[in-house]
Amino acid sequence: MNRDTVEQVLRDYNALRRPGTDPELEAVRAAVLLEDVFGVTLSDAEIDPAVVADPSAVAALVARRRGAR
Amino acid sequence: MCGVCGIVSYGAPPDLELLRRMMGRLGHRGPDGNGYYRDRRAALGHTRLAIIDTSGGAQPLCNEDGTVWVTFNGEIFNYVELGEELRHRGHTFRTASDTEVIVHAWEEWGEECFARFNGQWAIALWDRRAERLVLSRDRLGVRPLFFIRLPTGLLFASEVKSIFADPSVERAFDPAGLDQTFTYWSPVAPRTVFGGIEQLEPGYFAVLDAGGFRKAAYWRITFPERGHEPGQDAQENAEALRERLIEAARLRFLRSDVPVGAYLSGGLDSSVTAAIISRYTDAPLHTFSLRFSDSEFDEGHYQKQMSAMLGTEHQDIMVSPSDIADVFPDVIRHAETPILRAAPAPLFLLSKLVRENGYKVVVTGEGADEVLAGYDIFREARVRLFWSRDPGSAKRSRAAELLYPWMARSPGRMPAFARSFFGRHLDPGDPALSHRPRWDSTSVIKNMLSSDLQNEIGRADAEDVVAAMPPGSECWDPLSRGQWLEMTTLLAGYILASQGDRMLMANSVEGRFPFLDRDVVDFTNALPARHKLFGLEEKYLLKRAFADLVPDDIVHRPKQPYRAPDAASFFGADRPAWFEEVMSERAIAAAGVFEPSVVAGLLAKCTRTGGEKMSNTDNMRVLAIVSTQLTHEYFIAGGGGRAQERALPDPCVAVDLVTEDRSVP
Repeated sequence: MNRDTVEQVLRDYNALRRPGTDPELEAVRAAVLLEDVFGVTLSDAEIDPAVVADPSAVAALVARRRGAR
Repeated sequence: MCGVCGIVSYGAPPDLELLRRMMGRLGHRGPDGNGYYRDRRAALGHTRLAIIDTSGGAQPLCNEDGTVWVTFNGEIFNYVELGEELRHRGHTFRTASDTEVIVHAWEEWGEECFARFNGQWAIALWDRRAERLVLSRDRLGVRPLFFIRLPTGLLFASEVKSIFADPSVERAFDPAGLDQTFTYWSPVAPRTVFGGIEQLEPGYFAVLDAGGFRKAAYWRITFPERGHEPGQDAQENAEALRERLIEAARLRFLRSDVPVGAYLSGGLDSSVTAAIISRYTDAPLHTFSLRFSDSEFDEGHYQKQMSAMLGTEHQDIMVSPSDIADVFPDVIRHAETPILRAAPAPLFLLSKLVRENGYKVVVTGEGADEVLAGYDIFREARVRLFWSRDPGSAKRSRAAELLYPWMARSPGRMPAFARSFFGRHLDPGDPALSHRPRWDSTSVIKNMLSSDLQNEIGRADAEDVVAAMPPGSECWDPLSRGQWLEMTTLLAGYILASQGDRMLMANSVEGRFPFLDRDVVDFTNALPARHKLFGLEEKYLLKRAFADLVPDDIVHRPKQPYRAPDAASFFGADRPAWFEEVMSERAIAAAGVFEPSVVAGLLAKCTRTGGEKMSNTDNMRVLAIVSTQLTHEYFIAGGGGRAQERALPDPCVAVDLVTEDRSVP
């Protein structure tokens, strides 16, 4: 899973976002997507608006999880 | 679209009078003509709704030397291309109909011909020389095909009432068929709710000849292993989907010799099909919609918006709860099975509107929710899987709020609901994880069954749908497994039958469904699951592919499943008289399906409230009981469908090789 793929998924996801949503709930929505697309499980600490919106952070955690398998 | 029926006899020649009675019960499916063929072994009947080659396509129809005969309900949309290929291979055609293509395709390719057809069909072919009957049904079960195997032969027909024209056929409920209905919402092919009556499985053909009776699949619902889908690029896939859907809609609109209209529900799917027709054909478009007097169900605003944008000539019909109660008996006469929702009733009224406006073909958005993952059941499954990875997580439990926004507004109700919703059957390894909650909640109906029926169900050897999932399905994406279950159970058994074919054909209207086109389905089944359900965004690729053709607020409006006012229709001030009769203690006891005292308790509860604020469970219970009682009254205790028998006009085709009478146009 490379950085480009992560960026593409997050771009597609951001295009669907609606303004005014509770940021924490939006992080849950993003986590549902990321776990499904990348086949990883996020910790509660990672289901965080600052993490799931950051392509670098997502790419890093996906690589970590996959490397740990 | 038509009605087909027939008899294969192991002894004396088939009874022509019986065949004509069978045809008479299919008159509503084919008011434009009828015909029959009989020899010493078999008889084929046909009632015609003339759509392609209206002057020349009368049936039954035969090959050049009269050795292969066919009776056919449906359309082969690629008949033009197949006909060209068959002509190049030396076949001679007498008509311009798709029916004749079937005969020559069978001669040329035998059993392999069905995989070449792109369409919706129920076919019976009779090969005189081989004394062989071949039955075939389309891939997903758009067209119905029932049969019964008897010691004396085999009877087949588009509807069960036609088979019941034979007084020697025993009429009784099948306990296992009822059990499936009260679990999956409908029987699962080959089972029906009637003992001894089978339906050919979608995607199958069957053969009856000297070697006996056998069936085989020519096509199966299948999905690639997760991560090994052929196309991974969302934009490329969106473009490919668009191309295929445009072609599928064009084929269904243009391959007709009579005008074709379109349904417009106000949702995305029918908006896409109508928009394609409007954009990519020159023909003026007439659209039809359902409105509900109850604003909870009404989508009139979106229908008008779409119709205005496309410039269609638009008509709608406003349906009230009392309308639903009034037509419900007719709905069951046509559906021929218990139903757990009243939703078919408004569709019955809609097809009536279509017919009254001079149309006999409509294109609709049916099938999109199954092939492109539009149903809530798929979103719920994804949330349940997400939550199951750490059931103790407070963050994960909030995912339910994404499905049900009211939970965010009512935090006090959330924990109890979440526990009940997520906590049951939450085994990530369960191939039916997506469907257990629905099956579980539907099965409460069975608590009301009579003890005799419960015992019979316990003894019945019913098929296990989950065990029938294909080898390798454990490697599919969980969404694909859910789609397989949905297509195998609800799509064929309820959506395309009780809500589809039966309600359309009740008023002699053919439905055409671009989303169920062979090439569309093969393509969408091979897509990565994330292109269908992107996170929790349903029908993601469809929205992406047609964002330019459909207004933004229809593309992005919250998914509103098609629903109609349900059982409340039976408890208003103008409750219909028939309701008291079929729900009386005497009638409940006579049918033997439900426990009379339990039914009486439920009715008393609903009557007290006048049907107001009924729970979903009580709604479903009432619908199950009423529809089962009507099914019993019409098809078991009553005449088995005799009331719908029509006197047919003189046949257009009358070939009787037993008496050597022959009249073919």
